[in-house]
Amino acid sequence: MNETSHCVLQLKSRQAVRLTITATTGLFAVDSVPTLPAQITSQTHEILLQHAEKQLVTGERIIARLLIDLDASLHFHGGLIVLTNARLLHVEASHFQDWNLAAVQDLKLEEMGATAAIHLMHSEASVWHWRITSGHLREVEAFVAKFKEQRGTATSESDESEDDEDVFSAEEPITETFTNLPLLRLFKFSSKWYKLMLLGFVLTVASTGSGLVGPWLTMSLVDDVLIPLQTATNDVLVGRVYHFMLMLAGAAFVTWLLQWATTYVISRVAERVTSHMRRATFEHLQKLSLTYFNKKRTGDLISRIGSDTDNISLFISVDFIDFACDVLTILFTAVILFSLNPMLAFAAIGPLPIVAWLVQWVRSHLRGGFAAASRAWSAMNSVLSDTIPGVRVVKAFAQEQREIDRFREHDQQIFDTNDRVNRTWSFFEPTISLLTDIGLLIVWSVGAWSVAGGNTTVGVLTGFVLYVGRFYGKLDNMSRFLASAQRAATSAHRIFDILDVKPDMPITPGMRKVGRLSGEIEFRSIKFRHGSRQIIRGIDLKIAPGEMIGLVGPSGAGKTTLVNLACRFFDVSEGAVLVDGQDLREIDVVDFRRNLGLVLQEPYLFFGTIAENIAYGKPDATRAEIMAAAKAARAHDFILKLTDAYDSMVGERGQHLSGGERQRISIARALLIDPAILILDEATSSVDTETEREIQAALDHLVKGRTTIAIAHRLGTLRKANRLVVVENGVISEIGTHEDLMSRSGTYARLHQAMVEVNAA
Amino acid sequence: MIDLISILHQPDVRPIRLFPLTDPAHWIAILDTKGLEIACIEDPTTLDAPQRAALDAALAKRHFVPVIRRIVAITRAPDGHDWLVETDRGTTTFRIETDESIQSLGGGRLVIIDKLGTRYLVPKMTDLDRESRRKLERYY
Ligand SMILES: Nc1ncnc2c1ncn2[C@@H]1O[C@H](COP(=O)(O)OP(=O)(O)O)[C@@H](O)[C@H]1O
Ligand SMILES: [Mg+2]
Repeated sequence: MNETSHCVLQLKSRQAVRLTITATTGLFAVDSVPTLPAQITSQTHEILLQHAEKQLVTGERIIARLLIDLDASLHFHGGLIVLTNARLLHVEASHFQDWNLAAVQDLKLEEMGATAAIHLMHSEASVWHWRITSGHLREVEAFVAKFKEQRGTATSESDESEDDEDVFSAEEPITETFTNLPLLRLFKFSSKWYKLMLLGFVLTVASTGSGLVGPWLTMSLVDDVLIPLQTATNDVLVGRVYHFMLMLAGAAFVTWLLQWATTYVISRVAERVTSHMRRATFEHLQKLSLTYFNKKRTGDLISRIGSDTDNISLFISVDFIDFACDVLTILFTAVILFSLNPMLAFAAIGPLPIVAWLVQWVRSHLRGGFAAASRAWSAMNSVLSDTIPGVRVVKAFAQEQREIDRFREHDQQIFDTNDRVNRTWSFFEPTISLLTDIGLLIVWSVGAWSVAGGNTTVGVLTGFVLYVGRFYGKLDNMSRFLASAQRAATSAHRIFDILDVKPDMPITPGMRKVGRLSGEIEFRSIKFRHGSRQIIRGIDLKIAPGEMIGLVGPSGAGKTTLVNLACRFFDVSEGAVLVDGQDLREIDVVDFRRNLGLVLQEPYLFFGTIAENIAYGKPDATRAEIMAAAKAARAHDFILKLTDAYDSMVGERGQHLSGGERQRISIARALLIDPAILILDEATSSVDTETEREIQAALDHLVKGRTTIAIAHRLGTLRKANRLVVVENGVISEIGTHEDLMSRSGTYARLHQAMVEVNAA
Repeated sequence: MIDLISILHQPDVRPIRLFPLTDPAHWIAILDTKGLEIACIEDPTTLDAPQRAALDAALAKRHFVPVIRRIVAITRAPDGHDWLVETDRGTTTFRIETDESIQSLGGGRLVIIDKLGTRYLVPKMTDLDRESRRKLERYY
């Protein structure tokens, strides 16, 4: 420990904390760092870090670190590059090397498909290089950025602690505590309604208890009334028969009332929980970035929010309450049975161990079955959400049969998984029945013997038979509960899967509000990658307020990606996007987007009236405002011709509008919010020239006094642009006015020429 | 100020409501023969009496949205449902094809579009009698 405290003094508090933690876990002692296992494990990082920390000299502190996973021959091999305020260290299990920051020039990243190389440059030559799988490129870029920053300040050492936050957080995944106990989490999730749940529980106990009064009365009825009646025909006792009948009826009535209340209360809790769950999931989905939706199948998400929450509701409302009743009944009856006649009770419960074993067996069989069933459902939903919107393509290519086959295949999967589950528990139920009969048989024979021996009365035996019947009947119910619990656990897991996704662009309430922007946009040496593919390779562009920029370039060049970055649908991997001089990542994204008007190539209309669609970005807009926007977007005239004018239903199930008409509605939508920044992504590419002229006129109206970024393939659309920017392969290749670019006879001139030729042909 | 009376007397000039379902009392556009707007009146009550009468008359001539007072019966048909209703314009039957033909306009307002495109209005669902609401609930 002396060693530890010694180190702590030299290090920043942050590292001091982690060092102490590792030391106290006892996994490794600080002064004798363990040797590294061959494969990369979660501990690799810790161990390497300790190796590195041992190399630090007084006053040296870690700025950033990067875990690399390959060696020079591309075999998996753990290594760590550590950047300190003075040196660059490379640590491996059996290797250590360091470079003074002053002695090296640069770190260069070279992408090589699935892997990448990081070159350490000195006097324009690579003096050393590391290899890493492309999945880590984001971290590499962050590291390289830190390196460049540090090399810049290496000579003038500043001691302020930097925000190495992102480097650290990128490396340390948040550990989830609950993942394996979805039902427990479900319970926590519902704890908000504990009062209602408590009421439900009390009612359950009461109704179960009152349900057990009947057999007890029967017992007395037989012993005190029926047997005496039969043996000594005594008239006085007949009155007691009525007495018992009344009590039995009373018990039945109270049970009925209590059960009714129980079912209602519990169902209400279940609805509350699942409704809360659906809302929470949907709310959470809305907070997730486009990156998440790009990865997910719509059908799968729909099925999670729809049918999985339904499973949970069913579980809580029906099966869980049954289960609670069953357990209580079993306990109560067991107690009653033993208090009545321990020997008889013992005989009756004889087959119980077999039941316990059965339950275990069924459980293990069901678990996998339900997970498979849920996945099969998702797969089928995906087919549906794929095929139904795409029905025109299906028909156009006459692929109905293929889709039918695809659907059938997935449906078969659902059938198979359910069939598998059913096979298991269809066996379970009759088996329990058989065991019940055996139990009763035992009671009858032991009981008969006991009555004959005078140890038991006929009444007690009757009561016994009734109670044992109940006892096993409840065990039978357990099988249903097992199935349902497994299913609910699977479903809860799938829901929590969504809820556990951390938004990668969290909307934190403390972010700076920007209000109305003047509309200056600056791309400051930005780079961006989708996964391991570099899409934007370094773009610098400053757009003045009110300026109109035309973005042109071949398809796939990264134009849409560039505007997506300006909208902050994604975050840049390197560099920064600034609006009005403020980094996009530092301002409230919702507030920022109020300044944005976006018109896409494929306009999306929601199901609702035209007026509602136009007012989508400003729901409180007046009718006059809506009409003014529609007029400016040249949409008013065609809207007049619809039967219900502005009240016409459009969208998925509504009236069919042509592409140009939908486009004009989406332009009106953008216009209504009076955005400071307008983004047009091939807004007119899919319409005929006549309509384009109309839309063009609408747009001319729209671009006035706002910063505009317009992407277009028809270059004529951009004639109003102040500057044209040609993007090729993720970089800007040309920039200037139409005349400038034409005279330069580069890419733009070529594109223009091609277009003229097409038009002439 | 335009002369509404003489404009409306021209052949093929017609007034239309811009928000026929959500706000029928305001926003009336006057269209010329080609269907282009020549005037737009936000609030007809601001017009003087003769002009307003002319406008109302022209609107009434074209306006046909029966208001449903009572739903007598809804029966299944091979391709949809047959409705037998009492409206402010008398008792009638119509057929609707899908559930989507009943659209909510908010605030309990419903519009029902039948197979032939006629619109029927339920101004407030809660104002219908109990029986009618029960029948409606099954489809909406
Ligand atoms: N979500 C994504 N994941 C991976 N690659 C993407 C994604 N979106 C776009 N790309 C790729 O990025 C490149 C640029 O796309 P984009 O910006 O849409 O081009 P364009 O200039 O035609 O608008 C394309 O090669 C495309 O394949
Ligand atoms: Mg694009």
